[in-house]
Amino acid sequence: MIIKVTQEKLSKALNNVSRIAMNKVTLPILNNVLLRVEKKKVYLITTNLDMAVKDYLPVSNSEDGVVTVPAKLLAEFVSNLPKGETIEITSEDTKVKIKAGKYSSIINGSIADDFPELPEINEKQAVIYKIGADEFKNSMSQVLIATSSDLTRPALTGVYFNTSDHTLAVASTDGYRLAEKKLIDKTESEVSAIVPASSLQEVLRSISDDVEEIEIAFNDDLVRFRLGEVEIISKLIDASFPDYQKLIPKDNDIFASVNREELVRITKLAALFARSVGGSIICEAKDPNTFSVKSIANEYGENDSEIEATIKNTGKVNLNSRFLLDALGALEEKELELSFSNRVTPIILKNKKSKLYTHIIMPLNS
Amino acid sequence: MYDVWKNALAEIEQQISPANFSTWFQDTSLLSTDSGAIIIGVKNTFYVKQLRSRYLDIITIALKNNGVTVNTVDFEVNTPTKTKVKPREVTSANNLIKEKIRTIKNTSKSQNPLNNGLNSKYTLDNFVVGSNNDLAVSVAKNIIASPGTKYNPFFLYGGPGLGKTHLVQAIGNELLRNNPNFKIYYTPINHFYSDFIEAIQNGKGKEFYQRFQKLDCLIIDDFQLIVNKEKSQEEFFNIFNDLYQLNKQIIVTSDRLPRQIKTVDERLASRLTWAGAYDLQLPKFEDKCAILRAKAELEGIEIEPEAIEYIAENVNTNIRDLEGEFSAILLMSDVRNMTPLELIQNGSVSVSKTSKFRPTTSKQVVDKVAKYYDLTTKEMCSKTRVSHIKTARQIAMFLLSKELNLSTNKIASEVGVKDHTTVMHGIKKIENDLKLNFILRDQIEEIKEKIYG
Repeated sequence: MIIKVTQEKLSKALNNVSRIAMNKVTLPILNNVLLRVEKKKVYLITTNLDMAVKDYLPVSNSEDGVVTVPAKLLAEFVSNLPKGETIEITSEDTKVKIKAGKYSSIINGSIADDFPELPEINEKQAVIYKIGADEFKNSMSQVLIATSSDLTRPALTGVYFNTSDHTLAVASTDGYRLAEKKLIDKTESEVSAIVPASSLQEVLRSISDDVEEIEIAFNDDLVRFRLGEVEIISKLIDASFPDYQKLIPKDNDIFASVNREELVRITKLAALFARSVGGSIICEAKDPNTFSVKSIANEYGENDSEIEATIKNTGKVNLNSRFLLDALGALEEKELELSFSNRVTPIILKNKKSKLYTHIIMPLNS
Repeated sequence: MYDVWKNALAEIEQQISPANFSTWFQDTSLLSTDSGAIIIGVKNTFYVKQLRSRYLDIITIALKNNGVTVNTVDFEVNTPTKTKVKPREVTSANNLIKEKIRTIKNTSKSQNPLNNGLNSKYTLDNFVVGSNNDLAVSVAKNIIASPGTKYNPFFLYGGPGLGKTHLVQAIGNELLRNNPNFKIYYTPINHFYSDFIEAIQNGKGKEFYQRFQKLDCLIIDDFQLIVNKEKSQEEFFNIFNDLYQLNKQIIVTSDRLPRQIKTVDERLASRLTWAGAYDLQLPKFEDKCAILRAKAELEGIEIEPEAIEYIAENVNTNIRDLEGEFSAILLMSDVRNMTPLELIQNGSVSVSKTSKFRPTTSKQVVDKVAKYYDLTTKEMCSKTRVSHIKTARQIAMFLLSKELNLSTNKIASEVGVKDHTTVMHGIKKIENDLKLNFILRDQIEEIKEKIYG
C-alpha cells in the first residue's frame, strides 16, 4: 500500500476519525484506524461499536491496499509534522512506514482482517432528510442540553427524531425538563428514532466550516450523518421515547414577555443566593407589568430583582436556576415569552417571534 | 434455552481470543430456536454484521454440538435492560396531581347524599378475597342476602389497615343497593359519642335515641375506641338491645376482641360476640400479590409481575401500607418516567421498612423486656422453662431480631439459650401469637416505647 498526500489534508482527516478510537477498550483493534486505499482514494475508518466515523481523501500517487494503525499515535505524529510537507505512507505486512521529508517513523500496525465489519445503511429503505449545517448545529445544541445521562433510562440519553403532521421535530427530556425543536415542515416521510446524545455530539464536533448541508439517513436500527466527505454512522437507542406532547401544558394562563438578557442577569443574581437551597428560585409575574426573580438563602441573605415585562395574569412558580439559565441560553431572540399556570404545572419558554423551539421546565416543590 | 446458549458460549470462548470473545459475545442471548431458525440477540446493530461475517460458523457448530437444530441463524438487536412491559402512558406529574384532587373532590361529593356515613367507593367488587379474609367475606355476603338473621350482630376484628372499614362499608352499600329504602347508618364509635353528648347538651337526647331506633342497619366502626363513660356506654347498650330485639342488623368492627378492651362493660362484651367474632388476618404473600394485581387492574395500569412480588414481599405490615407503597411507586414511576421494576432495580425506591434503624443496644432490649415482666435480666436469661419467663425470653428474642436485625446465633448468646434453632422457634412463636393475641401486641408496643423512650 502506498499513499501520498499533503500534511494538512491527512491531519484534518485523522483528527476527524481518531476521536472515537478509544484507549482502554477490551478489543485493542478498536484503538486503530483502518486505512484502505482504493482507486486513488484513501478511506479512514474508526469505530467504538456504538458508532463509526469514515472520512476519505483523494491521493495523488497510490497503490491499493489496506492496514490498521493505532489512531491516536498516527494522528499526533502527523499533526506535529510541518505544514506543507507531502507525506508518504507505505506498508509492508503490518509495518507502516511514514515519511515526510527528513522525518520518518515506522509504526507497528495490525492486519485489517481483525477490524470489525461495519453495518451499512440500506439506501433503498432509508428515510433521508437534508438540513442546513448551521440550522442543524443550532438545533442540536438546543435539545442536547435536556438529554439525560442516566443509563438506566436509555430512551432519555438520546435525541428523539420524530415526525407528526408532516413536520420533523427533535426532542429530548431528562424527566425534569424537555426541549423540542421543529426542523422541517412539509415532509412526506416518517421517522421515529432515538439517536444517542454522544453520537450527535460527535457529529457536531465533526462539522467543519466548509460543510453546508447535513444529510441524515435512517434505517431501522442505524442512522448515518453525511457532512461533506465525513460520514458518521451510529446505532439507534432501542427503547421507546415517552409521548412527550402530553407533557407540554396546553392551558397555561399566566403569560410574561420579557427581555432575555435582563432575565439572564437577574436569574444569575438570584442563583448566587440559591446555592444552598438546591438552586431553587421563585419567579413571579406581578402587576403592574413586572417579572421578579427571588431567592432566599437563610444563612447568607436573600435577593429580589425585578425587570419590566408585559404580563397577563399574575402568579408564582419555583424553578431550578440552573435549568432556567440553560433554557435562556438555548433561546435566541431578544424577547421571550414565558407561560405557566400554577406551582405544579411546567413553565413553557419560547422565543417571542419564532415558535419552532419549545422548552419546558418542571417546577420545584415549594 | 438459556443453558444451551451458556454451553455454546463456553465452547466458543475456547476457540477465539478473550478480547474478541468479551467484545462480541458478552451481551448476546439466544432468543429463539424454533424449528431450526436461530435468532441471537445482540447489543446493537454494529454487532450484527461482524458476528454474521466472522463468527457464523463457530456459532453454528457450537449450537449443533449442544443438540440444537440449526437451519438459519439470524441476529436481532435486543437491549438487555429493555423490559417486555408496554411503556406506561405518560401523564405529567401535574396531571396526576390534578386527577388526584379530582378524585378526592368526587368522593367527598358522592359520599353522602343521605347522610348515612357510607362512602360509595367501598364495594365488595373491589375487595380482594384471599385466604386471610374469605370467612369474613362469606359472612358478609350472607348478611347482604338476609340482613338481621343468622349473623347478628356481626363482629369483625383485625389489625389496622386490613380492610375492616372497607368490608363493613361494602356491606352497607350493597344492602342499600338491594333495598333502596333501607335506613343504614355508619359511624365510628367516637363520633357516636360526640353526637350523643351534643344531643344531650341541646336537650335532644330523646330525638337522638329515636333516630337510631328507626334504623334497619347500624354499623359501628373502631369499637376499641369506646370510652369508659357509663352514661354513653349505657346509651349504646340500649340502642344495641333495641335494634337487636327488632332483628335489625348490627355490625361492629374493632381491632381486638371485646373482652380484650379494658373499658368495655362485660354484658356488652358478651352480647357483641353472640353470633361469633370474625377476624381479618394479615395477608399471605399470594394474597398480597392478588391485592396489588387487582389494584393495578382497577386503576388500568400495567406493572411488572416482578415489581408486584417485590412490593408484596417487602411490606409486611398491612394492606393499607401495601397499597400506600404501591401508589407511591406508581406516582414515582410516572414522574420519573420509568417502569416500576426499573425504579426498584436501580434502587430509587426502597420499600423495606423492617430495617429501619433506631439507636438501641441488645443489652437495653433484654433489660427492658425483663423489667417489663418484673424479672431480673439474670432470671429471664436463665434456662428455666417456667411459662411466663419463657414467653418473656421469646419476646426478647423477637425484639432483638426485628429491631436490631441480629443473627439468630447472636441472639442465642444474648439471651442465654442453647442454639439458634431455639431462637428461631421463639421468634416464630411470637410472630404467630401476635396475629391473634392483641394483649401481647399492646405489650410489645409498650416495651418498644420503653426501649426507645
